[in-house]
Amino acid sequence: MDIQLKRGLLDACVLAAIKDEDSYGYQIIKDMKPYLELSESTLYTILKRLETAGMLTVKSVEHEGRLRKYYHITRQGLGRIEEFKEDWKEIESIYRFITREDARNE
Amino acid sequence: MNKEAFLSELRKKLSGLPQEDIEERISFYSEMIDDRMEDGIPEEEAVAGIGSVDAVRDQIMADIPLAKLVKEKVRPKRSLKAWEIVLLVLGSPLWIPLLIAAVAVIFSLFIVLWAVVISIFAVDFSLAAAALACFACIFVYLYAGNPAGAVFSAGAGIVCAGLAILFFFVCAWIAKGAVKLTGRMLLGIKSSFVGKEE
Repeated sequence: MDIQLKRGLLDACVLAAIKDEDSYGYQIIKDMKPYLELSESTLYTILKRLETAGMLTVKSVEHEGRLRKYYHITRQGLGRIEEFKEDWKEIESIYRFITREDARNE
Repeated sequence: MNKEAFLSELRKKLSGLPQEDIEERISFYSEMIDDRMEDGIPEEEAVAGIGSVDAVRDQIMADIPLAKLVKEKVRPKRSLKAWEIVLLVLGSPLWIPLLIAAVAVIFSLFIVLWAVVISIFAVDFSLAAAALACFACIFVYLYAGNPAGAVFSAGAGIVCAGLAILFFFVCAWIAKGAVKLTGRMLLGIKSSFVGKEE
């Protein structure tokens, strides 16, 4: 898959995973497992990118005597999800253009 | 491998990176392993699921820009003594050109690699151009009333076109290899900044 497209897709996926409530790394990976396999290293890169862009904030919460990082979506992050939905409509219409011959032949 | 061994191995392989980056990564992977274990996965398996230390390290290296690695490497671990600063300044006519030379050597490696790629594409392009020229010659020979010359031109044109088409696949293959090699070289250069010191 095109690298830019994939990056946008992964960003939106991770934001969607923390949209309803704050979540932590392992939970995000588990939530996404039915849809796509995400390695820990890849997730770290995405979370870092989103944090730098101000789309999420991080806070450490004590859990069972150790610290666990929870990720909280910001207003900007929610906006990114909406943007993604709009972008996707565009991609869908491009997809229909690309496959129009196939549809006609069926 | 248990969690402690994995993390200390990773820490060793990352030495040379900015300290805060190392701590952040280590605590991230530590949390991941703890969460897996809490989920009922045995320790060995939880660690194995993260991937090998080398694979994790390679991915981290790919994430961190080369400039940051170099900056971290040249930053002194302690404040310099007066005589060291004097030496540095006095020695600058010597070490600055050496540094520039080192950068130039690395840069020229990339240039050489890509010059090869560009030149083979140039060969392919010239074959295609020669084919077109040969086809054009057919008409010139016909006009001059020389059928043998026209046949010769047609034959030469077809040979050139065939070679150009075949050679194009070789070019594409080599270009792909060059892209991969460039990536590997960059990773190699980055690696030379990390994990060498205890």
